[in-house]
Amino acid sequence: MGAITPLGVDEETSWQNILAGKCGINRITALDTTDYKALNGAEVNNELLSVAMKARQINSTSDRTVDFAMAAAAEALEKSRLRNTDPAVETEMAVILGTGIGCNHSFFNAVNTYITKGVKGVRPTSVPRIMSNAISSQISMRFRLNGPNYVIISACASATTAIGVAYRMIKEGNIDMVLTGGTDAVFEPLVYAGWNQLGVISCNPVPEKSCRPFDAGRDGCVLGEGAGILILESLESAQLRNVPIRGEICGFGESSDALHITRPSPEGQARAIRNALKSADMKPASIGFINAHGTATKANDECESKSIRLAMEDETDRIPVASNKSYFGHMLGASGAVETITTVIGLEKGIVPANLNLDNPDPLCNLCFVGKEPMRIESPVAIKNSFGFGGNNAVLILRRYKE
Amino acid sequence: MTQQEIIEKLRTMMRKSSQAQVNWDSVNADSAIASLGFDSLSILDLVYDIQQEFGFEFEAEELVGVKTVGQLATFLEKKQK
Repeated sequence: MGAITPLGVDEETSWQNILAGKCGINRITALDTTDYKALNGAEVNNELLSVAMKARQINSTSDRTVDFAMAAAAEALEKSRLRNTDPAVETEMAVILGTGIGCNHSFFNAVNTYITKGVKGVRPTSVPRIMSNAISSQISMRFRLNGPNYVIISACASATTAIGVAYRMIKEGNIDMVLTGGTDAVFEPLVYAGWNQLGVISCNPVPEKSCRPFDAGRDGCVLGEGAGILILESLESAQLRNVPIRGEICGFGESSDALHITRPSPEGQARAIRNALKSADMKPASIGFINAHGTATKANDECESKSIRLAMEDETDRIPVASNKSYFGHMLGASGAVETITTVIGLEKGIVPANLNLDNPDPLCNLCFVGKEPMRIESPVAIKNSFGFGGNNAVLILRRYKE
Repeated sequence: MTQQEIIEKLRTMMRKSSQAQVNWDSVNADSAIASLGFDSLSILDLVYDIQQEFGFEFEAEELVGVKTVGQLATFLEKKQK
């Protein structure tokens, strides 16, 4: 696994900082926020990113979304002992990634130059830079991964959907290895202005207190940026290569609300959770932890609380629920991947991070929450929820690997 | 802008456009452009960056015969006059 997050440019550092209760949310520095009301964000540290990319021998593509994914992919491949040192050697591995916005920087650059300089001001290579599948293609080319590569776009569910699709590819025997996960870099003027205007972003003046999933005092989400990459591999292939197995994906469910472009539906989300349980051949009684979507918007957290109760039935009051977004904001198309990574590590180590800003749980979010300290968990099975604009629901079931 | 200054600028732009592993610090007037890892796509980026940097346009046909970084710098030096 590999991660580029506002709390570190590798998986281990990000995890340690979350466990230590550090918050990656600050005032946004990447753009001039003079006219913005949404001033807080979780940004990746540029200096650390640059050092990590150099150490991993990754040249910048000039697009932050791609660079995040490339740097996290390098970490994941190195840890999985699958990074090619010889550019002539190809690896039979698919690249299936998620993104919410896509190549945001390249898109903004093209729009900006078109408006300021006209047609001739637009860079001739704008199309291969803007297209969202540049993310998976660049990784495929850089690391010589010759399986299919494409990008899945299902808003905030993108990475979780991508991981689920990758899981199915392996389960169906199409391929033995898939590089999967998600990436997003939202802090560009045009798209971030849209988020600012949408009215779902917290205006809390204290950055580290601004993202408050399931808290009665929450006033919206806070956006973050980064990437999370996982190498999925068939059990036979991993055993044959004798590499450490970090965890197991044992179920994936998805659904559409089929109702509204932004307003979520408990029934739609619950259906995705039930589909995931069915796919894993499990009952709610098997689940020991839920890593919630938990965006800290009024609508999401209340809806997700209902959907969890609908799907988990009488087991709801027993299962600890936490959201990681109070640490690194809502990383959109990367969130599902990074939160899957924290869930896998949590199961591996038997401990899950606290609900950082959950001071006063909203009575309308009637769930059993992890408290303000990390919590020991014995159960080997967890759920990762991701729900996106568009009524896109994706749910993974993860299990601690036992030989 | 002197030819040396143009070469410095070209080196920075080339480093950005080319994805090849090149020892850019050793690139000089005699370096063959063909050895710097450009393909039909990345050369478009380089031409674009040059045009944006120098503020004038030129056609690809005008570059026939330009083989080295120094020759390109001479072409640009003449063009800016």
